[in-house]
Amino acid sequence: MRDKMLYIAGALALILLARDIYLFTGFPEEVNQGVIFKIIFFHVPMAITALTCATVAFAASILFLVTKNFQFDALAVAVTEVGLAFLAGNLITGSIWGRVAWGIWWAWDARLTSALVCWLLYAGYLMLRNAIEEPTQRATFAAVFSIFAFLDVPIVVFSIKWWRTQHPAPVFWGGGSMPHDWAAVFGWQVLAMMLVGVVFTALRLRQEQFQREIDSLRRMAHAL
Amino acid sequence: MVYALMLWQASPDDVVREMERLQRNFGFLNSGLWVAWLILVVYVLLMVGRERKLKREIAGLKAMLEDKPRG
Repeated sequence: MRDKMLYIAGALALILLARDIYLFTGFPEEVNQGVIFKIIFFHVPMAITALTCATVAFAASILFLVTKNFQFDALAVAVTEVGLAFLAGNLITGSIWGRVAWGIWWAWDARLTSALVCWLLYAGYLMLRNAIEEPTQRATFAAVFSIFAFLDVPIVVFSIKWWRTQHPAPVFWGGGSMPHDWAAVFGWQVLAMMLVGVVFTALRLRQEQFQREIDSLRRMAHAL
Repeated sequence: MVYALMLWQASPDDVVREMERLQRNFGFLNSGLWVAWLILVVYVLLMVGRERKLKREIAGLKAMLEDKPRG
């Protein structure tokens, strides 16, 4: 039943993504930047999904430290890994956009640098987990590290408000606007990416359950 | 109307340059979208590979526990 729900959600996300691509390719070119502006339909939803994953990982890590329930640890690692994939997509699409808009692939401004630091921190989180064998110690250290890594997330979000950056101000809360049909497709695209994120997280959570089963089978094998 | 006026004033070289710029822009957009999809597809493939490995490991451990005489 759970697998069926996952397949349905995955198929729905794919249909939504395909529909959104079909719709936004039909839109006219943006006046200042031309056709490359349409990369916003992937760049920003990927960032929103990645930072939502980081927020869920933060909450799950706090809940693990409070309750010592390993379900929260499994959720934290699952969303962190999924968020890392989305943040990689956000960084690469942003770099391609920057190459056209600014003429350079990368700028060491506050937004880009803090986003890269965020990616490195969460990659470090996954490496830390691989380095610790004992499950309770691994989950505790990882939870503390995840809470520390989350400190970078508000810096990523508000950097374009706090400092003067090469990266432009946000479209929706920075005084800009989009035509209604563009905004509607953008909203659907955010929803589709979130749905993909939920499906990936559920699949990754199932792997954590398998891993726990392996751990318990190994303990039984040692006991015999 | 503005575009019509710009085209009226533009030389053939300007038009060719503008078309090349649009083509290049489209190429960048295309590669951006491919990269975004590719990351998601590669991640799915990695997850499928890992799940297969975990299932194999579970089956192997279960078989080992069944074969092992209880001491």
